[in-house]
Amino acid sequence: MADSGYFDPVSPLIQPARPGEAPHPWGHTTLIGQRIPRVDAYERVSGAAVFPSDVQLPGMLHAAILHCPYAHAIVRRLETTRAKALPGVRDIITAETPEAKISWPYGEGYAPPLFDTQLRFEGEEVAAVAAETPWQAWDAVRALEVQFDERPAAVAERLALTEKAPNVHPGGNLARPIQTYARGDLGKGLAEAAVVLSGSFRTASQLHIPLERHGCVAMWDGDGLTVWESTQGVFPVQEQLAAVLGLPLTRVRVRGGYVGGGFGSKLQTSKYAVIAAILARRTGRPVKLFLSREQTMLSMGLRPAAIMEMQLAAKGDGSLTATSLSVLASGGAYGGAGSALVDWLAKDLYRCPNVRTELTDVMLHSQPARPFRAPGYPQGAWALEQMMDRLADALGMDPVALRLQNIPTVSQARDGSPAYTTTGLKACLEEGAAAFGWQESRQRTAAQPATFTTRRGVGMAACNWLVGGGFPPATVVLKLLGDGSIILNMGASDIGGGTKTIMAMVAAEELGVTLDRIHIEHADTATTQYATASGGSKTVPTEAPAVREAAQELKRQLLGWAAEELGVKAEALRYEGASIVVINHQEKKGKSPKRIAVTNLARLRQQRVAMGVGHKRANPKNKAICPFGAQFCEVEVNTLTGEVRVVRFLACHESGRVMNRLTYDCQVHGGVVMGTGFALTEARILDAASGKLCNRNLHDYKLPTMLDVATQTVSLPLKLPDDAANSAGAKGLGEPVVVPTAPAIANAVADALRPWQVRCTATPITPAALLQALAAAKEA
Amino acid sequence: MFEDFAYARPESVAQAAQLLQDETAHALAGGSDLLGCLRERIFPVKTIVSLSSLKELRGIARTAEGGLSLGALTTLAEVAGSTEVQTLYPGLAQAAAEVASPQLRNQGTLGGNLCQKTRCWYYRGDFDCLRKGGASCLAVHGENHLHCIFGGDACYMVHPSDTAPMLQALQATVWVAGPAGDRSLPLEQLFMPPAQDPTRETTLQPGELVTHIHLPPPMAGQQTSYRKVRARRSWDFALAGVALAVIIEDEIVTSCRMVLSGAAPFPWQATQAEALLTGAALTRERVRAAASAAMQGAEPLTHNAYKIELFKGIIQEELARLVRE
Ligand SMILES: Cc1cc2nc3c(=O)[nH]c(=O)nc-3n(C[C@H](O)[C@H](O)[C@H](O)COP(=O)(O)OP(=O)(O)OC[C@H]3O[C@@H](n4cnc5c(N)ncnc54)[C@H](O)[C@@H]3O)c2cc1C
Repeated sequence: MADSGYFDPVSPLIQPARPGEAPHPWGHTTLIGQRIPRVDAYERVSGAAVFPSDVQLPGMLHAAILHCPYAHAIVRRLETTRAKALPGVRDIITAETPEAKISWPYGEGYAPPLFDTQLRFEGEEVAAVAAETPWQAWDAVRALEVQFDERPAAVAERLALTEKAPNVHPGGNLARPIQTYARGDLGKGLAEAAVVLSGSFRTASQLHIPLERHGCVAMWDGDGLTVWESTQGVFPVQEQLAAVLGLPLTRVRVRGGYVGGGFGSKLQTSKYAVIAAILARRTGRPVKLFLSREQTMLSMGLRPAAIMEMQLAAKGDGSLTATSLSVLASGGAYGGAGSALVDWLAKDLYRCPNVRTELTDVMLHSQPARPFRAPGYPQGAWALEQMMDRLADALGMDPVALRLQNIPTVSQARDGSPAYTTTGLKACLEEGAAAFGWQESRQRTAAQPATFTTRRGVGMAACNWLVGGGFPPATVVLKLLGDGSIILNMGASDIGGGTKTIMAMVAAEELGVTLDRIHIEHADTATTQYATASGGSKTVPTEAPAVREAAQELKRQLLGWAAEELGVKAEALRYEGASIVVINHQEKKGKSPKRIAVTNLARLRQQRVAMGVGHKRANPKNKAICPFGAQFCEVEVNTLTGEVRVVRFLACHESGRVMNRLTYDCQVHGGVVMGTGFALTEARILDAASGKLCNRNLHDYKLPTMLDVATQTVSLPLKLPDDAANSAGAKGLGEPVVVPTAPAIANAVADALRPWQVRCTATPITPAALLQALAAAKEA
Repeated sequence: MFEDFAYARPESVAQAAQLLQDETAHALAGGSDLLGCLRERIFPVKTIVSLSSLKELRGIARTAEGGLSLGALTTLAEVAGSTEVQTLYPGLAQAAAEVASPQLRNQGTLGGNLCQKTRCWYYRGDFDCLRKGGASCLAVHGENHLHCIFGGDACYMVHPSDTAPMLQALQATVWVAGPAGDRSLPLEQLFMPPAQDPTRETTLQPGELVTHIHLPPPMAGQQTSYRKVRARRSWDFALAGVALAVIIEDEIVTSCRMVLSGAAPFPWQATQAEALLTGAALTRERVRAAASAAMQGAEPLTHNAYKIELFKGIIQEELARLVRE
């Protein structure tokens, strides 16, 4: 039996590597890989967890932003007198306010004033109010008298590039020169193919709807600013606030803690944080500023729509010979690549010698795009994975077999085509297909008579993801206190993926302590060390190795202290969690081994704390570290009504070592749900004439409900620890899980509609879209 | 957030009617529609007249004739869950159960469901819509994916209610109380066609409120059903819906009422389909012909022609369930 506070490891605890060396790969693990409930589950479920939107400070004011109600407008006049006179109003800031005369760096060289008089998207900030209550603030915003001069807007990608389109910025709406990529000889690849197919695809713009709206609380204490912000990364927010406000980093503290969802929309700093800081400074009171849901839908980012043309060619045996993809997309009104990474899968997922891609980015009078769970990938997968299925049909091959024919071992899209550390693509396809019953299911759907109006279909799609291995910097501190309890201190935010739980598990695995002994401090620029924002599915592979290194340093230190105390060499000692043991002592003397309890180490008793610091090491050179996956699904399509029901899903992902099976499965389920929304229900709808958002609430903007997603989703992890990638052997998971979902559904729908050869090439596949496609096919 | 308003909770229907005479006074039942309108400031509201004390407007009772009387304040969940409704008019229980989400069905009332405002995004959103006093309907040339294919005139909304088409198929009567006393009208006359007045949803006069819905006793052999298609499976209005009340005797349709939701600014009675079916045997060909007849004269806008196929599809599906083979 282990001492209280320690667990019985299944195999001896791993001993620290030599100083400077990376930890040895884990063999058997005790906690890692288990289904461990979140360490903060109770707080989350009971409501005890304090999210930034829960923060209440003494004397706190509430702020609200007046946003531009037009897609394109000029502010001619702004009168604040009436608003100022309303009860409870404490401050109003506008373009005229001295403190607000700062510029806001959107990136790509766009740095308009914080409150511009030239407004380029519906939702752009015009002025802000601070008042005693949120309601008073909103009333005052309404009472601001603004004379807007509405201008024609460009909100459709193709139209925006025509001559008569209104310009977002002078000089035309092409955001940057068209970006091209080429390898091999496309013409040659097309010439040697047995089958050449081309197709047009479109994905609608998906809005960011995290459960917790975007916002912050700002408070000044003398010259120092503290901001509680709902964010994926406190340090990037700190850096940008400091830069914009002209303050040293030491005077800006950003506190994160809990965050109610981000999905990429909370990676960057938003204007509201600066606005809250200015209002707080001017009023001398803390200011809380959370956007309304409509405002988050208007200004907190989206997955840009993509218009794609694709060509795919293969030999008779299915080997790809040529791939081309052209993409038109928009990052909105202030640059930002709307097309970024949309072509990555076309360049990288399957072996193909001849590839050409072309990315066109257009400016629109629309909110700036923001990263959205696997930016670019679901759009590109929508085209590529449907084309692969069409190709399989044309070649008379099974879709899984066609993909297996084209498995790469190197990352072809990267310079120098580096090899993957591991690639689970083949195994995901094979094991996923077997577990799903792919062959039998295909036979079953093929046997349905054409007269059936309610039809089943099965489909699948595969993926990889860009940044699976994490990267520096990351610094983690572990502190052992006098009573044996542990403080895990890390800068990274837990955006819901279970980061805190997994890092506690890593520390526990290394130190042999139980999880309840570990206290976590995180996401606070004043008390934790620098971490990049949690995004890109890189948090586990970035932070977990740093935690391991910190734990190993701590263990080395304890072993050193014990060696001193026992008068033996450190090499003769073994760390066993509760105590440190002299190796071979037992064998020599035939007695119980000589050991010393860690908490009894004289040095610890005197110093009261032992500390280990760990960093993320550089990734291996000339290697690509990528997660892979394949998803399979079955749908039921009602050909009379166009309704699609997702019956079941199976997601087989390879993300290296499974760190926590429970949070792993949560990521898979969440990804499939989000991907299902992308496939079937979600689309931003802009009024073509005005450019204004039509579906600005949660019943018009159709997030899927529980009834819209598969009743049965199986998560089948492929456990393939990637020891070359990092010392945790883990790769990212949160984003790849959303990539193949929509095309898998589209392929299943196409399978159900096989008698009519109907394929839905645009998201979302609504009853309207499906019926129109069917009607067109029946007519033809 | 809201404009200032007065709040009144009358103790009697007469008092309520008195208070509601002012154009800017609005009845508050469950509030699931009205509160949204207040927040968006869609129309001026000076007085909120809560109906919550009017106990006599609550609940479901048998009528002397053997039908049901449904109080306007009966919640949709109560309608859906009532054994009597389920037994006598299963289609109505279905329609009520198809409304929105469980939370909204617990809060929303039958009267409110009939008197709710359109969900057109030009009406609800920050647009200068005709129904709100703007110059013209923005949906005609705009994003009209969800709009009407029948009965549009000046305004092209669809009526949002799921219960209204079923009640109309059941030949419900609406009882209304007003300053001049009570009156009753056939349900179809409750809705204001935009051709007559595109700024009002109902024909209620100032001071009037709905008190009860009366359903005649179900006719012998009457089969009722409500089928709805929506963009997602819960918490969503109908893209297209069909309410049916049909009697089949010896394979012959002796009576048929078919009323569509999601088709028009008011529940749309498919009279041509009804005529085609009545007196005929319900064969597969007849079913198809009826579905086409129901769509005769449809005038789709730029983005909603799919509704024609969709209605044909659900009408076929629903009628086909009645075909005995
Ligand atoms: C997100 C969402 C989804 C929805 N989905 C659906 C759906 O799928 N199908 C559907 O049918 N409905 C749907 N609804 C509408 C919902 O059913 C109605 O809001 C509800 O039935 C209204 O009832 P209430 O008691 O809350 O009405 P209230 O909001 O209190 O009142 C609504 C209107 O009716 C008036 N009114 C209320 N009672 C009376 C009366 N007795 N006499 C005269 N006037 C009266 C009020 O003055 C007000 O103008 C949805 C609503 C929401 C918010």
